[in-house]
Amino acid sequence: MKPILTRRQFLQGCSSAIAAMAGAKLTNLAFAKQDNPGDTLVVVFLRGGWDALNVVSPIEGDDRGFYEKARPDIKIENLLRLNDQFGLHPAMAPLYDLYQQGKAGIVHAVGLNYDTRSHFDAQEYIELGTPGAKNTASGWITRHLQASGTSSILPVVSTSGQPTSVLNFVPTVSLSTPDEFSLWDAGLRASHMNALRTLYSGESMLHRAGARTLEALDIVSPLTGGGYEPSNGAYYNEDDFGAQLKTVAQMIKLDAGLRVATVDFGGWDTHEYQNDGNGGYMADLLNSLTSGLANFYLDLDSGYTDRLSVVVISEFGRRLVQNESYGTDHGHGSVMLTLGGNVNGGQVFGQFPGLHNDQLYDRADLAITTDYRSVLGELLAKRMGNTDIESVFPGFSGQYKPLGLFQ
Amino acid sequence: MQTKKITRRDFLKLSGSLAAASALAACVPGEQSPVAIPLEAGGQSPVIEPEIQTTLPPVPMAILALNRLTFGIRPGDVDAFNALGSNESERLQNFVAQQLNPEAMDDSEFENRHARAGFETLHKSHEQLYADHIASNPYSSNDDAYWQWYSQPAYELVDETVLRAVYSKKQLVEVLVDFWHNHFNVFFWQDDGVPLLASYNRDALRKHMLGNFRQMLEAVAKHPSMLYYLNQNNSSDAGPNENFARELFELHTLGAENYLGVRDPNAVEKDSNNIAIGYVDNDVYEAARCFTGWRVDDDLGDWEDGVEKTGNFLYHKPWHDRFNKLVLGRYIPADQEDLKDGYDVLDLLASHPGTARHIARKLCRRFISDAPPETVVQAAASTFLQYKDAPDQLKHVMETILLSAEFKASWGGKVKRPFEAATSMMRTLNSDFTRPPGSLHWMLSLMGQRLFERRSPDGYPDTREAWATSMSLLYRWNLAVGLAENWLDDETTGYTIRSDTFAQTPAEIRTASALADYWIQRILNQTLPESSRNAIIAVMAQEYNWDEPLTEEHVRYVLPAMIEVILMSPDFQWR
Repeated sequence: MKPILTRRQFLQGCSSAIAAMAGAKLTNLAFAKQDNPGDTLVVVFLRGGWDALNVVSPIEGDDRGFYEKARPDIKIENLLRLNDQFGLHPAMAPLYDLYQQGKAGIVHAVGLNYDTRSHFDAQEYIELGTPGAKNTASGWITRHLQASGTSSILPVVSTSGQPTSVLNFVPTVSLSTPDEFSLWDAGLRASHMNALRTLYSGESMLHRAGARTLEALDIVSPLTGGGYEPSNGAYYNEDDFGAQLKTVAQMIKLDAGLRVATVDFGGWDTHEYQNDGNGGYMADLLNSLTSGLANFYLDLDSGYTDRLSVVVISEFGRRLVQNESYGTDHGHGSVMLTLGGNVNGGQVFGQFPGLHNDQLYDRADLAITTDYRSVLGELLAKRMGNTDIESVFPGFSGQYKPLGLFQ
Repeated sequence: MQTKKITRRDFLKLSGSLAAASALAACVPGEQSPVAIPLEAGGQSPVIEPEIQTTLPPVPMAILALNRLTFGIRPGDVDAFNALGSNESERLQNFVAQQLNPEAMDDSEFENRHARAGFETLHKSHEQLYADHIASNPYSSNDDAYWQWYSQPAYELVDETVLRAVYSKKQLVEVLVDFWHNHFNVFFWQDDGVPLLASYNRDALRKHMLGNFRQMLEAVAKHPSMLYYLNQNNSSDAGPNENFARELFELHTLGAENYLGVRDPNAVEKDSNNIAIGYVDNDVYEAARCFTGWRVDDDLGDWEDGVEKTGNFLYHKPWHDRFNKLVLGRYIPADQEDLKDGYDVLDLLASHPGTARHIARKLCRRFISDAPPETVVQAAASTFLQYKDAPDQLKHVMETILLSAEFKASWGGKVKRPFEAATSMMRTLNSDFTRPPGSLHWMLSLMGQRLFERRSPDGYPDTREAWATSMSLLYRWNLAVGLAENWLDDETTGYTIRSDTFAQTPAEIRTASALADYWIQRILNQTLPESSRNAIIAVMAQEYNWDEPLTEEHVRYVLPAMIEVILMSPDFQWR
């Protein structure tokens, strides 16, 4: 005779199943395979508005001239050649390797095609997915998961709080590292957990948040205790970004139906002294970003990259002309990066509008020729099994123009 | 009847025999067992779960007011509140009057504790802070002692802020300074000015927060902490830096709600005073020009003419853009007297109805609910404008909000933020410390609200969603454990937080149910539904009967665990 199980017992049962396997390999749980029809999407948001023109710079021609003239003190030299038109900042060498292997792609002159230079507005519009409308009740990732349906216990992990892209997606679990994620106790842990399950069994937002935290504790507990060995000799930097990527890699390898992970990387608001030649502050950021991504990819190149898509986005680029403080002020058009086993890498996508004064947005910033939603829309359609662009980005389907970024 | 393939989440929602049959199968690798179940029409979306408006039963005014206007209820606070009048309105009115006149309050107990805390730098004037800790730091910059000395005033401010929040009787002042520091946010680790955070908090914020907004705005705009933080210090006519001007509009005054985007400023509608009803990008640029030359007197290398190194605000005329400007439709002529361009912008913004609404809404969000009723926002905005030139303008605004019907009518519209959760735990436990150990700050940082460490200028969020993440909630729970078990120690400094919960329990109370009832009342000041109460008694009782006397050994060991659970409960998180 089969025992009667409650939902809680079921969850506990599953996590002991996971725990039992933790010594060997955390994979192949039936529900995971059943639940994840597409890639695991990792969204890296660079907060502050990165200086796209110093990330992917014109390498020759008129635009190089305009660029050098506008940025006499902060222009980047000795670029890593991407094609006849552009070069990559030399601090991004780790990404350059993946680009040459066809695992990383670049989109230029892309962004939020809406008139704002406010960090907060721009980030909010991008993450809501509804430029110009702030009263949207859900983030774009929320709507994607709503449209495609999800049923895993741990569908979304955020390693940096609760970004707007997952607004109102209640099952989001935020954790920075598995080890940090455990409940303290003085020997009466089971008793605590039981009491908390009762106390948090209500329907309010707070009750649900508590119940979710208890579920997450059950799932993550097998990963605690340290000792994570990245595959292929990958090494995570001991910075915030490295720690977040390492956590995401562990959650992916748990194979418990992770659909989306969001990662934040701040500090890109480079209003002053952004460079010291090709080095300095900006170069440190770019190196941290790209070595983080490259090692993450290497770690997951152990059977997971075929089901992995990473996208890197920032709220805007920066002004073409450097400011008096050897920095750059808020601008418009930007650069996005893609990474994964099924990207059409090794190419710079998008139409570059040029840097002549008449070609600039508001006669000041790089103009936008690709709406960021076309990049995300194509990702959803080709890699996440969701072709319902309109439900994720309301009002956008008519302007949706896929660039061929993904296979 | 429709049927569809069950999703995992639907599946998890089921309980009982249906789930039982396939639950075990689903756990087994390699087996799939799709199940068809009837789909109820209008069934709940499996992904978005819109918040069900929680209808908490109304609470006595003491609980509502003390949770909103203080950093948590201490034992005895409810009785003291109730002694302030013969009915709820009178009590509230008297409590608010007391709290809004802090200079008249006896706070000697806190002051004694403060004196014992051994702060060495907080008494220093702004100039002294700059001279001692920046211009003439006695240590070598290769030496750890240099950086320790450099950041000491800011670290002391953090500790002092916790101490005040937990022990000062002037609670509303503390709640307000927290509000205003987040409103005019400055990041702790702001290069060039870390030690000045102490004078910023004291001279720009505390000094004005029950005073006049226009004066506070000017004190903030001229304070070196802000000048450094928003890059105003390098803004000259040769290349105005927009950062300060933008946040001045977007966060400090009009707010993003009055931002009209990148538009032709001439196309913006004007109000009856011929001032633009909102701002566009051009206003930000023009305002940035108005503030050129506002900087810090900080020529540490003796490179610049006319600049010394006092660390004070400096109007550096050679950097000022002397030409005419247009801000919010107001023409600002060329060659005005020193500072006048900037003052004109501050005047325009501080008296703008959009600013009044923005500030009123934020205060109502802090003191009433995440989505405060528009009526009280409008009332507070009217008071803001009515008293815009009064020296106690903000006190009037606070009165409008705190004595409003909307304030009295709402309970459960707020969830404590991590710092409030932490202070309220310490207050209810009668925790004892003079300097908080580093582990408290570390835990606040894991909860997402380390004091003064919000990097972006918008300050820490003030709505519940921002704090409902698993990590934040988990460490709120862990802090309850750390406090009740007396685990918060700092080995290097010797700082500890201690609370003897056993000694605070009357000796005659010894059964699990009586202990639970005593501490539920003590911490929550109200009773709990049966199921919650039972869950708490069960922790206390462990394997014993709920109504049999427990041994002292058992009580000593298990009592902290039961108290932790009460502190972790959702009922302790509302405000």
